[in-house]
Formats: sequence, C-alpha cells, structure tokens
Amino acid sequence: MSAPILETRQLSKTFGGVKAIDRIDFSLAPGELRCLIGPNGAGKSTFFKMLTGQHRPDGGQVLLNGQDITAAAAHEIGRLGIGIKNQIPDVFDGLSVAENLTLAARFILPKAAAARKVAEVLARVQLEPMAGRLVGELAHGQRQWVEIAMVVAREPILVLLDEPSAGMSVEETARTAELIREINREATVVAVEHNMQFIRSIASRVTVFHRGRILVEENVDKALSDRRVRDVYLGRSAA
Amino acid sequence: MAILTTVGLMAVPSFYDFAVQYDISKIFVLALLALSMSFLWGYVGILSLGQTAMFGLGGYVYAIVAMNSVDTATAALIGIVCPTLFSAVLGYFLIWGRIGDIYFSVITLAVTLILEKAIRATSGDRFVIGKVRLNGQNGIPGVPSLEIPWEAKATLFIDGVYYLTAAVLILVYVGLRLTLTTGFGQVLVGLRENRRRVELLGYDSRHYCLGAFVLAGAVAGLAGVLFAVWGNFVGPSLFDLDRAAQIVIWVIVGGRMTLAGPILGTALVVTLTTWLGTQGVGQVTLALGAMLTLFVLLFKKGLLPTLSELLSAVARWAASRRAAR
Repeated sequence: MSAPILETRQLSKTFGGVKAIDRIDFSLAPGELRCLIGPNGAGKSTFFKMLTGQHRPDGGQVLLNGQDITAAAAHEIGRLGIGIKNQIPDVFDGLSVAENLTLAARFILPKAAAARKVAEVLARVQLEPMAGRLVGELAHGQRQWVEIAMVVAREPILVLLDEPSAGMSVEETARTAELIREINREATVVAVEHNMQFIRSIASRVTVFHRGRILVEENVDKALSDRRVRDVYLGRSAA
Repeated sequence: MAILTTVGLMAVPSFYDFAVQYDISKIFVLALLALSMSFLWGYVGILSLGQTAMFGLGGYVYAIVAMNSVDTATAALIGIVCPTLFSAVLGYFLIWGRIGDIYFSVITLAVTLILEKAIRATSGDRFVIGKVRLNGQNGIPGVPSLEIPWEAKATLFIDGVYYLTAAVLILVYVGLRLTLTTGFGQVLVGLRENRRRVELLGYDSRHYCLGAFVLAGAVAGLAGVLFAVWGNFVGPSLFDLDRAAQIVIWVIVGGRMTLAGPILGTALVVTLTTWLGTQGVGQVTLALGAMLTLFVLLFKKGLLPTLSELLSAVARWAASRRAAR
C-alpha cells in the first residue's frame, strides 16, 4: 500500500471541556475518495478545520505527505495544496463568479494562464452563464459550486468538501456527485456528508465519526448497515 | 466624466478669486486624507482611525526639514517617507500581532492621540530641532510653500498650490483605482469580502494588509505635507480627535465602498461646516452629528452609491417606458 497522503496521529481538540476531537488516528491513501459521516456534533467539521489551519489542535499531529503541518497557518496549508469547501459557503459575495475564481487561480498562475484556467473551471461546473453575476446574488447551491470551483482552480492535491450537497435540489445533487468524481480524477477527496444516497454514489470507503472519535471505518455498504452506525444516527448510544 | 471634472477643476482659477481657490485647495488636501481612509476601510476592510497620525507626521516633518534650510522638494519627499516608514512599523506590530478589527481601530486612534499629546508638550526652548522650535500647542507658523524648481527663489502661491493639490488628488485617485485592478488590489478586495477564504487559497493576508496600510499611510503623509504647504502652518490639531472623527464622517457621507465618494463627502461636509460656521449656528458639531445620523439612516451606502443607484433606476424606468411604447 502506498504511503498515505494525509495522516493524523492522536489528533485532539477540546472546546471548553468538551472533547470535540478525541485522539483521532486517520489515514488516507492518495487518489482515494472518502466520506466522513456521523451525527451533528460528531466533530467532522472541527476535524476539517484542524486539517486546514483554521483551528489549532490541542494535541497530536497532522501529516501531509509525511510533512508535519500541525502548527502551520491556514495560508501555508493552502499553499501545500489542501483546498477546502467549508460547511457554510465561504466565498467573496461582493465579487463576480469569475472574479472569485480568478483570485483562486492567480495564486498559482500568471494572468493569461489564470484566465484560461477560470474559463475551463467555469465550464466544468457549468457556471459560464453566471460568470459576471455577483456571487452574493446566486442561489445557495450555485454558491456552493462557486466555492468548489475556487478550490479546484487552485489545483489542489487534497480536496476537503464539507457538506457539498447541502441545500441542493435532486438535479443539483446529482451534478455535484458527478463533479466530485471528476475532481477525484486529479486529487484525493474527503467529503463530509449526510445524504446517504449521495454517499453511495461517490464513495467506496466511509469513516464514521461519533463524539470526536472514529466509530467505524469500512466500505460504504458495510458501514451504512452497521448496527452501531444506525444507533448513533438514531440517538442511541453506541456500544 | 472624469475628464470633464478634471478640465472643470483646472479652469477654476480662471473664474474665481484666490479666496475660493484657497478653500477648494483645502478640500483637495483633506480629500486625500479621506481617500487614505476609504482605501483601507472600504476596500480592505480595515478601519484605521489613526490616519491623522501619518497626516500630522507628514506635515510636521515637512515643516521641520523645510525650515532647516533644506530645499522644499527634498523636505516634501522626507515628509512622505517618514509617515510611510512609521505606518510600516506600526502596521507590522498591529497586523503580525493578529489583533481584532476593533482593537486595530482603537490602537490607531490611541497612536494619533499620543502623538497629539506629545506635540502639545513641546512648548519651551528645550524642544528645538535644528533651527525650528516646536512650540507645543501653538504649532509652527511660517512653514514655507514649495519652491518652483524652474524659477529661482520663487514659491508656489495660492493658484500654484491649487493646481498642485488638484493634480496630486487626481493622480492619487487614479493611482489607487489602478492599484485595485492589479493582482495585489484584487487580493485586497478579497480580504474585505472574506479574509478566511483569502488565507485558505494560500495568500498570506498579513503581507497584503501591511501593504495596504503602508500605501494608505503614504497617502495620508502626502496629504499632511500638502496641508503644511497650503496653510504655511502645522499644529497639534493635525493629529487630534476632532479631525480623526471628521474623516470618518466624510467617508461615510460620501460612501466608503467607492473612492470618488469620500472626495465628494469631504467637499460637501467641509463646505457645509464652513458655511454653518459663518451662519452663527453656534453648534456646528451638533449639526454635523445630526447630519451623520441622517446619512447613516437614509443613505446606508453613502451619497455617491445611492445617487448612482438612483440614476440607474431612473434609466431602467425610462428604458422600460420606451419599450412599452
């Protein structure tokens, strides 16, 4: 098995006495498309924020391709190639769709190449007709796509997607699943999701979080039929 | 539109007397100060209440250097460089310290007030730099105007200062507009919109914030130099709370999310303040306060954005009427 692209060792984070992330050992193979699931408050978003320098861990380590990035700042992690779509769309509402993508692409590319990249990504996410519209005026689903497109325009090696299909229509969700599979051809992807059908359509392996710990890590069918997983989703305490 | 405005401004001295030119020059200088704040606040999202610190430093440094028999062009240059360096040092500690936005505003305000108090405490013979007495709260009178390079021993008179301040204001406005279209400028706008996203994309926001703060500091310092040239005087009021607060009013009235708005706001409020002063109202500050409240309530985005929205609404209405016929 190839060396993991991302690894956490005993990663921990406490908020006011609550262990949001409790000694998590997590490993991800290059090229994988993994889903993180678990009930609200399980620690999935906190985990993502610790991987991207938005929260500083209290203990443990984060390794990207073997390099320790535990104490790295958000911009340093961004430069190393981790891109994240946060749970609440984190976009530039006062700028146009094209300007949003340009800001992302310009970081790695000179002006002309960035313009080509923006056009290519706009086509991929089918946002070309909205290129000139202000992102703040778009529907929720479209804003999510803008954010995903920004992440892609930066050509990341690892993409973290926090609830990419939240608030989307059935058609939008299907399109998003397709988009994620496309992204996965070039980058390793981890997605936090609640929509089980969506998870089945994109992932082969699932990690289940519960109370800041990993409860189950299995292939998707096994994980979703696991009794403990059903118990935590129904609010029963897992054995 | 911009060309018309420029031509119009340049034609003013042909039609109006020195008193009018003198008043308008002051507006140009103060508008530069307003630009330095609105660039930071409206485009980068940093509210610096201490732009008067750079403004005052610019004025004082120019006065002291020019009065020590150095040629005025060099003095003006030093007058711009000093506040620029000062804002680099101050900005470094504030931005690398990652303090919150409110603390940034409070600390910058405190810095300008400290400088004001320090200057006020410099009365007496002990406080002399070269040949120049600082004179505490009485300020330094007799600050020379800029020398005209191509005419021996001649300095700019009121009309010359008018042309100079107008040209500088136009250049700085255009320069800042162009800056905002560069990659650097786009990241600055990104910072205003969403600082976290800028960081997640890989940009180190601290470098960009510091760059903007230093640029704004240079513009405020330049305004300070021109203020000293314009009034032939510098005093501790350059740094004071009154002025620091007034810039906020100019910018809010004009519209902080534009660069032209604050120029308009400065012109309007400064003219109104002067007019109220001559009308025997007595409580000019109170009247200004009422005006600010009114603006915040009625024109949330400021005068210029509201006017342009109104104009485009009228244009849309006219177009729909034409289409209906």
